[in-house]
Amino acid sequence: MDILSNLMMGLGVSVQPFNLMIAVAGLVLGVIVGVLPGLGGANGCAILIPVTFVMPPVSAVILLTCLYWGALYGGAICSILFNIPGEPWAVAVTFDGYPMAKKGRAGLALCLSFFAHFVGAVFGTLLLTFFAPVVASFALRFGPPETFGVMLLTFSSFVGLGGKEPMKTLVATALGFIMAAVGIDTISGELRLTFGSTALMGGFSFIVAVIGLFGIGEIFQTVEEGLKIEGFKANVKWVDIVDTFKAIARYPRLVVQSALVGCWMGVMPGGATPASFMAYGFAKAGAGNEMEEYGKGHVAGVLAPEAAAHGAGTSAMLPMITLGIPGSPTAAVIMGGLMIWGLQPGPMLFKDNPDFVWGMIGSSWIANILGLVVVVAFAPLFASVLRIPFAILMPLLIFICAMGAYAVNNRMIDIWYMMLFGIIGYLFKKLNYTMAPMLLALVLGDMAESALRQGLIMSQGSLWVFFRPPIALPLAIGAAVIGCWPLIQAVRSRLTKA
Amino acid sequence: MTYKMADLITAGILLLIGVVVAADSLRLGSGWGMEGPKPGFFPSLMAAIMIVGSVLVIRKVLGKPGKNALEQFVPPEAIKPVLVVLVPACLMILLTEVVGLYVAGMIYLTLYIRWVGDFRWRTALAIGVLTPLAFYYIFEKLFLIPMPAGMYGSMLLPF
Repeated sequence: MDILSNLMMGLGVSVQPFNLMIAVAGLVLGVIVGVLPGLGGANGCAILIPVTFVMPPVSAVILLTCLYWGALYGGAICSILFNIPGEPWAVAVTFDGYPMAKKGRAGLALCLSFFAHFVGAVFGTLLLTFFAPVVASFALRFGPPETFGVMLLTFSSFVGLGGKEPMKTLVATALGFIMAAVGIDTISGELRLTFGSTALMGGFSFIVAVIGLFGIGEIFQTVEEGLKIEGFKANVKWVDIVDTFKAIARYPRLVVQSALVGCWMGVMPGGATPASFMAYGFAKAGAGNEMEEYGKGHVAGVLAPEAAAHGAGTSAMLPMITLGIPGSPTAAVIMGGLMIWGLQPGPMLFKDNPDFVWGMIGSSWIANILGLVVVVAFAPLFASVLRIPFAILMPLLIFICAMGAYAVNNRMIDIWYMMLFGIIGYLFKKLNYTMAPMLLALVLGDMAESALRQGLIMSQGSLWVFFRPPIALPLAIGAAVIGCWPLIQAVRSRLTKA
Repeated sequence: MTYKMADLITAGILLLIGVVVAADSLRLGSGWGMEGPKPGFFPSLMAAIMIVGSVLVIRKVLGKPGKNALEQFVPPEAIKPVLVVLVPACLMILLTEVVGLYVAGMIYLTLYIRWVGDFRWRTALAIGVLTPLAFYYIFEKLFLIPMPAGMYGSMLLPF
C-alpha cells in the first residue's frame, strides 16, 4: 500500500515538535480570524504569508492550512452566539444555531457544530488522502490544451452557476486576467500594460488583492451596516457533548450525506458557502414531519450545514494540489504561497515533493483533531474576542493588513494598492460583481495564458487542439454547456411562456 | 447617488479600462508572431470580453433596472462612518512614507482610539504604542522581515 506508507510519512512529518507547535499556532489564529467578521481565512493566510518565508515549506503549508481549518471551525462561534456570520459559509448555521442559543442551549449548538465540522473534516481528509494521488497521476497526462480546458471549465462554472448577474461575473473575471497580465510577459519578456509607469512594472500582487478585497473591503461593509454586537455567553459542558453524540447517533445518515455534499461542492470551484446552504436544504426537505421544527433550533439544522462547510473547505484543497486550481479563495491564497516558496502546484507536486504534499495531508488529520479539542475547550475565550470595542479592533486590523501587504514584496505602493482594492471590494460587493473568480483569474492568469499560447503553438494556430479527445474534448463541451447555462435557461423560460 | 448611477459609473469605468487595455494590446500586436501568439494576444481577448460585457451590463441597467435602482447607494447615515475609516487609514499610509510604518501606526492607533473610540489617553497610548512595538520586535528582530521605514523611520526607532 503505497498510499498508507506515504501517509505514515506525512503523519511523521506533522508530529515533529516544531510542526506541531506551528499547527497549534495556526489553529488558534485561525479560530480568532474566523470569529472576527471582516477577517476570514483567505485574508488571514494572506497576511501570514510573509511570516512563512522564514520557515521550511512543509511548516509553512502546515501553518496556513491550520489557519484555514481554524477559520472553518471559528466561523460558527460568531454565528451561533451573536447571530453574525463570521464567514459566508456560516450563514446557514445561524438559521437553527442562533434560535438554539436563544433557548439557552448555546453550548449544545456550539458543540453540535464543532463535531459536525469534525465529521466533514474527516470525509474531506479521506478524499485528500486516497483520491488526490489518483487525480494527480491522471493529471500527469495533461498537456497545455487539457490544462486550458480545466481552467475554462473552472471559470465557466463561475459564470454559469455563480450568481445573479453572469455578465458581471464575466467582466470581473476578465479584469482579473488583465491585472495578472500587467508587467513583464512571461513568454516574450516584453513589458505589457505598464504605460511607461515603473509602479505598474511589478504588476499586481495577488496577496495584496486578497488583503484589500476581503480585509479592507469587509471592514467598510461592516462599518456601513453599523455592527451591533450583542450575544450569549456559553460554555461547552459535558452534558452538551453527550447530547451531541446522541444527536449524531440519531441522524447518522444526514451527517454523512451533508459531509459528502460538502466534499463534492468543495472540489468544484463553488466552495463552502453553497455547500452549507445545499446541505441545509436537503436536510430540511428530507425531514418529513419534523420540517416544522427547522429554523427554531433543530439539532439537524446545525449538523447539516456545518458538516458540509468543513467538508467543502477541506476538499477545496484537492484540485489545488492535484491540478493547480484552487477550489476556494483560501486555497487560492495557499497556492499563491506555494508559488512564492518555489513549488509548482499541480500533478508534479506528488512526484517531486512527496514530503511536502504528504506532510500537508498528514497534518490535516492531526490538525483537525487538535482543532476540535481547541474549540470545544476554549470556545468562550474565542467568543470574547468579539467583545473588543470596534474602535480598537478596526484600526488594529488596518495596521496589520498594511504590514501584510507591504511584506509580500517589500513595496510601499502595495499598501496603496491594498486601499484601492479595499474600495473596489466594497463597490463590487454592493454591485454584485463576484470577487472569487476575479481573484482566481489573478492567481491563475499566467498559467492560463501560457497554456493557451503553448496549445496554439503546438497546433500552429489551430483552435481544434482544445477539442482533442480524449480529455480536452469533454472538458471543452462541459465548459461550453455550463458557461452558457444562464442563456439556456433564459431561452427555456421564454419558450415555456410562449 | 442612486444605486443605478453607481452601477452605471462602475460599468463605465470598466468599459474604459477595457478600451485602454485593448489599445495597448493592439500596440503590442495581438496576432500571430514569429513564434506563436504575440504578447498582446491574450490581453486583447480579455479586453474584448470586458468591453462587450460592460456594454451589456450598461444596457441592462438602462433597460431593466433592478428593484433597488433608485435607492441610495451608500445609505446617508453610513457615509460618515465609512469616511471615518477611510480617511484616517489613508493619512496613516501617507505618514508611513515619512516616518515609517511603525511610527505611523503608533500615531494612527493612539489618535484613533482616543478621538474616534473616545477612550482615555492612558488606554489609547497603551494599546497604540505597545502593539506596534510588539510587532516591531517580532518582525524586525525575530523574523528579520523589514517594514517600510519611510524617510526618517530608522532614526525614530534606533534600537
